[in-house]
Amino acid sequence: MSIFNSINISASALTMQRLRMDVVSSNMANSETTRSKMVDGVWQPYRRKMVEISSSNGSGSFASIFNDTVQSNTSVGSGVKVTKISEDKSPFKLVYNPEHPDADENGYVQMPNVDPLKEMVDLMSATRSYEANVTVLNASKGLLTKALEIGK
Amino acid sequence: MTQINQIQSFNIQPLKPTNAVSTSGEIQSKFAGFLKDSINEVNEAGLASSDLTNKLVRGENVDLHNVMIASEKSSIMLQTTMEIRNKVIDAYQEMMRMQM
Repeated sequence: MSIFNSINISASALTMQRLRMDVVSSNMANSETTRSKMVDGVWQPYRRKMVEISSSNGSGSFASIFNDTVQSNTSVGSGVKVTKISEDKSPFKLVYNPEHPDADENGYVQMPNVDPLKEMVDLMSATRSYEANVTVLNASKGLLTKALEIGK
Repeated sequence: MTQINQIQSFNIQPLKPTNAVSTSGEIQSKFAGFLKDSINEVNEAGLASSDLTNKLVRGENVDLHNVMIASEKSSIMLQTTMEIRNKVIDAYQEMMRMQM
């Protein structure tokens, strides 16, 4: 369906932005989680998650890759995709709270490396990108419906 | 079985020069086949849209935007079909009005 190519590309972008929002909600929900997974009998706090975004080229079939190589970047590709959800390797925050059940012998608790400020920025960026892609999609739809008026 | 029949009927077609003028019957059947294929495609788009809507209503894991996009696609394809039908009927009526 070549006439719906731009709509399909916008759809992949919308799906990608939804996934980014899911990741942001997970990070915000777990911003106080001290028990995410057990490593060597010790609870590790939640690690901030991030998405890796890459552009997807064609259907990945031999023919599409061959055409891309021969015609040297004349294809527009087929949108974006999330290749991986990776973890933020930055160190955990240390908070002094001796009453906490997960405090170590010095009274410090390891808190997740989630920064609510960063998460809010990510959330706003995902929302705005979603809106922008909906605008692109509506423009492509408007073009198609305008084309149907040719010769009326 | 149907595929085998198709291959057989393909093989027994008589040889003819490539620049042969098609008869009006051939053109009519080609046009009918094209029309049937297009209508099937439109029908499939409508079925895909209603399938996605049903999945959304049942609470399965589908994105709302994909449901909306599928319904928009099927709507555009239906509108295109209607435009082509209008054109064909216009041409037919023009022919019928022709003075002999």
